[in-house]
Amino acid sequence: MIIIGEKINGSIPSMAKAIAEKNEDYIRDLAKKQSEAGATFIDVCASVSEDIELETLKWLINLVQDVTDTPISVDSPSATICAKAIEFCKKPGLVNSVSMEGDKVDQVFPLIANTGWECVALLSDDTGIPKSAEKRLQVFDALMKKADQYKIAPKRLHIDPLVEMLCTSEDGIAKIVETMTKIKAQYPDIHLTGGASNISFNLPARKFVNRAFIILSMSAGLDSAILDPLNTEMIGLIYATEALLGKDDFCIEYINAFRAGLFDKK
Amino acid sequence: MSKIDEIKQTVETGKSKLIEGLVADALAEGLDPTKILNSMIDAMAVIGEKFQKAEVFVPEMLVAARTMKKGVEVLKPKLAAGASTSLGKCIIGTVHGDLHDIGKNLVALMIESAGFEVIDLGVDVTAETFLNSIKANPDVKVVALSCLLTTTMPSLKEIAAAVKGSPVKSFKLIIGGAPITQDFANQVGADGFTTDAAGAAQLAKKLAS
Repeated sequence: MIIIGEKINGSIPSMAKAIAEKNEDYIRDLAKKQSEAGATFIDVCASVSEDIELETLKWLINLVQDVTDTPISVDSPSATICAKAIEFCKKPGLVNSVSMEGDKVDQVFPLIANTGWECVALLSDDTGIPKSAEKRLQVFDALMKKADQYKIAPKRLHIDPLVEMLCTSEDGIAKIVETMTKIKAQYPDIHLTGGASNISFNLPARKFVNRAFIILSMSAGLDSAILDPLNTEMIGLIYATEALLGKDDFCIEYINAFRAGLFDKK
Repeated sequence: MSKIDEIKQTVETGKSKLIEGLVADALAEGLDPTKILNSMIDAMAVIGEKFQKAEVFVPEMLVAARTMKKGVEVLKPKLAAGASTSLGKCIIGTVHGDLHDIGKNLVALMIESAGFEVIDLGVDVTAETFLNSIKANPDVKVVALSCLLTTTMPSLKEIAAAVKGSPVKSFKLIIGGAPITQDFANQVGADGFTTDAAGAAQLAKKLAS
């Protein structure tokens, strides 16, 4: 499972405060902790007004790179900002994110064409978030044409089928599961990702919904997720689910992660 | 329990299957349609307050609003023209460049449940579209702008300025969305801001009266 550590994000109130107060130690510490907890990428999202977003991102990325070699996930709703922030990273990481909205893909794909950079792509376009699985798959097809045009191999893409909140969904996660299953059948190498917590918006005791969602989605092909790597309960469940899905011979990964204290630490 | 109380409780608990029958019964008993409508509006106000105290959750608010909608459908033919929109008109939309609709829809639903006639312009709405809608509805009481991205906040600012420059001066401007703060609301000259849909309905009511 590819874990994109979500904690350095200005939309989290405690992080917004740290960014506003220039609390460098707090940010470095969270970068280090997420890296030690086994994050594959460390997401960095400023969530400040656009005029200071780039300088804030640069500052945040450098703080993360001070303490860890874990690659960065450059997170901004603006493709232009993502494209510029790539330059601050010492090694290839993850662009988070593009979609088929506007010219986002054309801004980002050429820059990462011949690099090791990976990219999150949302299945939305100029019409917003398509309602049906079928329409989302049409957006996906258009996206893959672009990827092919810029020579971005499927294994460098993390497709986000756009999970919406469960409490207003009419069919649970059936639509998402269908979208993911069809994508994986077409491109076995491609990554499927999503935010672990979008699903539980506006519900009580959200952690149960988040965990159940991750487990069910992993069974449908989810192999990448934006979540809190310090949430040891979730991490334990992820390792266990991978083993149950036959992706962990002799449960060696599960045992090693346990021994490393990533979950159920006594 | 009186029929009116029963209707109120049915909306509050979101029992949408029962509401049509209850409203029809109440009308058959000769109860005043406006009184029935107001009992449903009251029920939604109670739900809104409970939501703000975290006693109920968004889905419960949704089923309550849906229940009310069904009840209003039965009432409509009986209500005198105009009586169904006791608080006036509210124009709402998500700003240009932003395609998010879930939060905006919820706010529209709650404002409608509070007794407004809601004109929902959808998502990705330009300043021009807002201005045209205001022009077409010069009696509008509330204009509500939604934005869900830090990147579309400048767009909201622009639209707020345009809307405030409209020759129509009958309305108050309210804004909301994940990245919005009271500070930002003050900056763009909005008359109000709330963090959630229930608060938006209360605010619209307060500003329109």
